Amino acid sequence: MKYWKDETEPVKAFVTLWETLSKEDEFIEGMKKVNQLIWFDYTEDGPNCSFHVDGRDGKFIVKAGKPAEAPDLTMSLTADNAHLSWANKLNPVMAITRGQIKVKGSATGLLKLAPKLKKVALYYEQILKDLGWADKLAK
Amino acid sequence: MRYPDLSFEPFFTWANRPRILYKAGVREELGFEMEKLGGTRVLLYTDKGLVQAGVAQMVIEAIKASSLELVGVYDKIVQDARLDLINEGAAFYRKCGADCMVVVGGGSVMDTAKAINIMIGGGHEDFSPLAEQVGLFDGAQPLPPHIAFPTTAGTGAEVTYAMVVLNDIAKAKVAVGHPFCTPDIAMLDPELTVKLPPKITAFTAMDGLTHAIEAITTVNANPISDALGLHAIRIITKYLPEVMKNPGNVEARGYLLIASTMAGMSFINAFLGGAHATAHALGALYGIPHGLANSIMLPHVMTFNLEEKPERFVLIAVQAVKNLQKSVGLTQTLKDFDVPDDREALQPLIDLAMGDSQLPYNPRDLEEDDVYNLYLKAR
Repeated sequence: MKYWKDETEPVKAFVTLWETLSKEDEFIEGMKKVNQLIWFDYTEDGPNCSFHVDGRDGKFIVKAGKPAEAPDLTMSLTADNAHLSWANKLNPVMAITRGQIKVKGSATGLLKLAPKLKKVALYYEQILKDLGWADKLAK
Repeated sequence: MRYPDLSFEPFFTWANRPRILYKAGVREELGFEMEKLGGTRVLLYTDKGLVQAGVAQMVIEAIKASSLELVGVYDKIVQDARLDLINEGAAFYRKCGADCMVVVGGGSVMDTAKAINIMIGGGHEDFSPLAEQVGLFDGAQPLPPHIAFPTTAGTGAEVTYAMVVLNDIAKAKVAVGHPFCTPDIAMLDPELTVKLPPKITAFTAMDGLTHAIEAITTVNANPISDALGLHAIRIITKYLPEVMKNPGNVEARGYLLIASTMAGMSFINAFLGGAHATAHALGALYGIPHGLANSIMLPHVMTFNLEEKPERFVLIAVQAVKNLQKSVGLTQTLKDFDVPDDREALQPLIDLAMGDSQLPYNPRDLEEDDVYNLYLKAR
C-alpha cells in the first residue's frame, strides 16, 4: 500500500470519517434515501480491511469489518484507491470503467450521494489532520 | 475561432469503440461487414414508427440482398429503454435463434438493443438486477455481433458504452455502462434520417448540441473531447437550420449525423453535467422528450456555469443557443409541460436530478437550491 502502513490505518480513517458524517443532518438525510446496508470491501489489502454502513430504515450505523447480514451493495477496491476516492481525487465512473472499483448489488442509491463527494473530502482532510496523518493527504 | 489555452485534468482515459462507416447508402455494406463479424442469422430491432415510415424496410432490403438470413423483426421498442421490453426483446432473440443483431433506430432503440445484447452475451433472463448495478465492467466479455444504424442525429448512442434505462415503476432513469455494449460497427447512413419529422430532427439535434457543449465544459473535458465537441457544435449550428428548411438535403443530414457521433464520442469520455441531470429527471417524471428537455435546460445551466469556466464558455455563447432554439421553432419553457413552480411539488424532480450520474461532472457545484432555481428559470 502506498498510503497506509498496515490494514488497520485505512479502516480507522474511513470509520472515523463515516462516524463523523453520521452526525451531520445532510448525510443523515442522504443515507435515508440510500436505505441500504453497504459493505466497503478493501480485503485485497488484508482480511480485516473493510467497514460497513447500515443505512436501512433510518439507521446510520458505521462499523469496522464485514456485515453479519448480506449487504445490499458491495464496493470493492484497494485501500489506496479508497483513500483517493474519499479525498475526491478518484473519478468514480472512470474507476469503475477501469475495473478499479468493483460494484456488486444496487448502486443507484449510492449515486445519490455522489454530488456530496466534495464535501466528504473536506471532512476527510480534517480527519486525517486530526489523526496526525496529514502526510497522507492525496497529492 | 481562436482556441484559448484550456486546462484539463492531468489524468484522463479515452475509449474508442466502435468502428464507424459513413456513406449515403452505406447499408449496402451490411452483409459484408456482418459476415466478417461472424453473424449469419439476423434479428432486426427497430420501432413501429420506423416500420411505418419505410425506414426499417430500407435496411431489411439490404439484409435480403446479402447472404444474411433475417430471422425476425422486433418493432415494439418505444420511447426510453424499458426493462420489460429489454427482457421481452432478449427472449425474442432466443426464440428466433438469432446469432447477431442489426439495430435501426434512435437512442431508445439503440439503448434497448445494447441491453438485450448484454443479456444474450451473458445468458441473463432479467435485466433489472444488471440495471441496478449501474457499472457492468467487472469481468465483462465481448458480446454477439451487433451493427447499428442511427436514424436520428443527436443521441450518439451508436458510440456510447452506456445505455439509459427507464425503470417505469421507480420512475427513474439509470445510466448503465458495459465496455462492449456499443455496436461492433456504427453505420451512418443519412438516407435513413431523411424521413425524420422536423420536430424530432430538432429535438435530437439539440440533444447532440447539449452533449457537445456539456462535454467541453465538464470537469473531465480534455483536448480530444474538446476537438470533437467543438467541431460538432460548429456543424450542428450550421446544418440544423438548413435541415429544418430542406429536410430532404441528404448532405446536410449527413453532417448532422456525423456531428451527433462526434458529440457522442466526446461526452462518453468526458461525461456531461447539469443540463442532462435536470433533463433526465424531466423525462422520467413529466415525459418530456429527452432532446427537448435538454434544449430547455441548456441555456440556464450554461448561464449558471459561466462563472466557473469562463475560458471555455467564451467558445460557446448562451445567446447563440437561444437563437438556434428559436430559429428551429423549439419551446424554451417548461410551462408547456405543466411543470409546477412551488418547492414541494418540484421536490421529486429535484431529488431525481440530484441523484443523476452526470451531476458530479458539472463544472460548478450544484446544490438542491441551485437545481430548484434552474427549474424555476426554465419555466
